[in-house]
Amino acid sequence: MKKLLVLVAVLLTGCASQVQKTDLSAFQAAKPRSILIVPAVNKSLDVDAPDYLLTTLSVPLGEKGFYVFPVHTTKVVLQQEGFYEGEQVHQQPPEKLAKLFGADVVLYVTINRWDAQYAVFATTVTVNFDYRLVAKDGTEIWRANKQMAYTPQSQNTGHPLANLIVAAVQAAVARAKPDYMPLANMANYDVFVAGPTAIPNGPYLTVQ
Amino acid sequence: MKIVYALIACAVLSGCATNKGLYDWSGYSGLLYQSYKDPAKVAENMHKLEANILKAEQLGAKVAPGLYADLGTMLLQSGDRDKALINFQKERALWPESAVLMDAMIKNIQPVKQESKS
Repeated sequence: MKKLLVLVAVLLTGCASQVQKTDLSAFQAAKPRSILIVPAVNKSLDVDAPDYLLTTLSVPLGEKGFYVFPVHTTKVVLQQEGFYEGEQVHQQPPEKLAKLFGADVVLYVTINRWDAQYAVFATTVTVNFDYRLVAKDGTEIWRANKQMAYTPQSQNTGHPLANLIVAAVQAAVARAKPDYMPLANMANYDVFVAGPTAIPNGPYLTVQ
Repeated sequence: MKIVYALIACAVLSGCATNKGLYDWSGYSGLLYQSYKDPAKVAENMHKLEANILKAEQLGAKVAPGLYADLGTMLLQSGDRDKALINFQKERALWPESAVLMDAMIKNIQPVKQESKS
């Protein structure tokens, strides 16, 4: 397991050095301990996307060492304040939101894509997010964009007609019930933890 | 091919995260997702989360940030004010960063509770 970890670490640092690193000086100056995750703005056609996305953000940020505010509680409290849509929440001054919850930074996510594009024999499932972290004084301290796409690969049955049927069935399944969650999890993990935009560790991760 | 590598890396990394992560998440993300997806299962998922957290406590694991608070809100929504209060107090005690929000949630419950008892 340790060997694998080292291997993965080498691979990841290898990748990271090829891409320009994000400027983290504003983030480091702000020294945030806690992150308030507010409901996302939805530019996709899937009305469920913001709720589903909300369930994927706590784990990577918590494991990165930050106190993450309870996403469900945050959503309910904001609704009690009269904000039912991500748009309304994102229009509020970040200072006001941070103060209301006692948070150091606010995470804003915009869902640009959350869709399955159907072609006859293959369906591509795509997510695309804009992420922004804004400190309690209103300063933007970090931003990133991530797109993840997945096209199910059909297995070769050794028979051309059978191959076409398998591909068509898989495409139909992916279209009828596309699973966005693995893509959302991968996008989050990449921007916050593994990729060139990775954020510094929070206070609870310094021990390791 | 890129995706295959990404999936392998993801599997390896998430495997590590569950084994060597900072916290016990008690199935939180999946249960919350199920509840948003199918509102008919909200109560069932809440009870599962409650049971998982209890198990984590018994094992001496560190319960992840936000779990007691969100369980508290789910309990509050189901009408169980007493249990909600206990969970908000646990979140407050475990995470100083939660103080402002948890104090507000606790204050929101307690006046009503006292009135109903008097």
